[in-house]
Amino acid sequence: MSDPIRGQTAICGLGITEMGKVYGHDASWFAGEAIKLAMEDAGLQKDDLDGLLVNPGITGMMGTGIGIPLQNYLGLRNLRLLNHMNSYGATASAMVQYAAMAVHHGMANYVACVFSDAPLQQGGSAGAAYGGAGRRGPSGMASLMPAFGFYGANTSYALAARRYMERYGITNNDLGRVSVTQRRYAVDNPHATMRQPLTLEDYHNSRWIVDPFHLLDCCLVSNGAVCTIVTTADRARDLPSSPAYIWGMGQGHPGNLPHAEVETGTTSGAVIAGETAFKMAGVGPDDVDICEFYDCYTYTVLRTIEDYGLAKPGEAIGLYPEDPADPEAELPLINTGGGQLSSYYMWGMTPVSEGVIQARGSGGDRQIAKHDIVLCSGNGGTLDTHGTLILSPNAN
Amino acid sequence: MAYDKPLPNPDENTQPFFDGLKEHKLLLQYFPSADHYQYPYSDRCYKDWSTDWEWRESAGNGEVYTWVRMHQLYHPSWKAEIPYTLAVVQLDEGPRMHTNLVNVGPDDVHVGMRVKVAFDDITDEFTLPKFEPI
Repeated sequence: MSDPIRGQTAICGLGITEMGKVYGHDASWFAGEAIKLAMEDAGLQKDDLDGLLVNPGITGMMGTGIGIPLQNYLGLRNLRLLNHMNSYGATASAMVQYAAMAVHHGMANYVACVFSDAPLQQGGSAGAAYGGAGRRGPSGMASLMPAFGFYGANTSYALAARRYMERYGITNNDLGRVSVTQRRYAVDNPHATMRQPLTLEDYHNSRWIVDPFHLLDCCLVSNGAVCTIVTTADRARDLPSSPAYIWGMGQGHPGNLPHAEVETGTTSGAVIAGETAFKMAGVGPDDVDICEFYDCYTYTVLRTIEDYGLAKPGEAIGLYPEDPADPEAELPLINTGGGQLSSYYMWGMTPVSEGVIQARGSGGDRQIAKHDIVLCSGNGGTLDTHGTLILSPNAN
Repeated sequence: MAYDKPLPNPDENTQPFFDGLKEHKLLLQYFPSADHYQYPYSDRCYKDWSTDWEWRESAGNGEVYTWVRMHQLYHPSWKAEIPYTLAVVQLDEGPRMHTNLVNVGPDDVHVGMRVKVAFDDITDEFTLPKFEPI
């Protein structure tokens, strides 16, 4: 039994800026571009916009991210909804959820949900943007982390991946199959940064970052912004753009307690979030046509597939071909734009944006023929936070 | 050569923990009302929200919960060590600690391996609780 809100709200506009090593602009500029593109895509005028939710990305932690001042930067004077949100990589789907609930209940008509980030500096490395270099050192027990040589999100996820891999007998070659599969999709994605085809050999030859992760297990770091416009289904039908209707929404946040009573690193919030979203949508894992999963690392994709019940624990890799570079290989319909590994890293907006594109049928050369049920995930912390959206081109 | 890696930076709340390390004692917070050991430091038990606790010495035994080999250089002082082994150790008392594994090669590390604390006096002032195979 689905929830009455199923199909009553929709994403009616999508804006994706130029992505990657795009220099000379700050996060506010990218946000402005993405909102402008999304409003044009929706066929809306500036004065129509009465809601704004912002998620600043890593630059939010560096003090240069977008926030509430974006309202004045864009001269928005009639907002009925405004907030700065952050549950890390789960935020994008969460913004859409709160926007959907707000428009459904008449608190706003058109809500822009925008993620923007510009951590890459000309001449600086991607790792420097996320490794914590240059930030003030921690105090107390947290100071033991750099003292032991722990740095960055790569290490936290590599620790999680190792436990998963040893438990289920997953190899580096298996992780490589995920990486190569996603690159094949990115080849056909004009928004993607990395469009050169990959082989498993390329994967194995890519340098170690933190074993078990090679470079090609890790997501990109990108400058850019993505905006989605959320409205009611009734309003969306009156617009020139084709809507992606929102069927299901859910969140699940297990946190990450370092104690024997809590298994961390091998289970994500998708278990809780998926149950809520599937129930609202009135569908189950077997009904899903396409998955757009948060893929900060190859490992995260496998874990997420299993936590949504699309494969048994340890068996997600079975969905991937032995050699995804083989042109005859049938690819799983997962991360069909190349994901964060190969297209662009806009936190949770990467899966949400590709989910909207596929649900609307606007994927061009990479469009999947059957796209009635599109499952999108967001994930933050080290599997601490999770958000789910189920999108469809059909209102019901 | 002088020790040039990042040093611990105790604060008021955690100074006794770092003093304990110097005496080669691994101290954990113990919250009696929930019969719960907790690490890292917090002023509140996350199980029953009690704020009554005491330091207790850990037996220092546990097992490898997970581990990695760090190849990326984030801080120049690690250059000679790379790649080095990082681990999360599950202490028998319950808490898990991020640490270094010593006296074991990377081919011999595995999840579930039994380990015990190995105190490393890195400077006159500081000692790190590393772990080694039992």
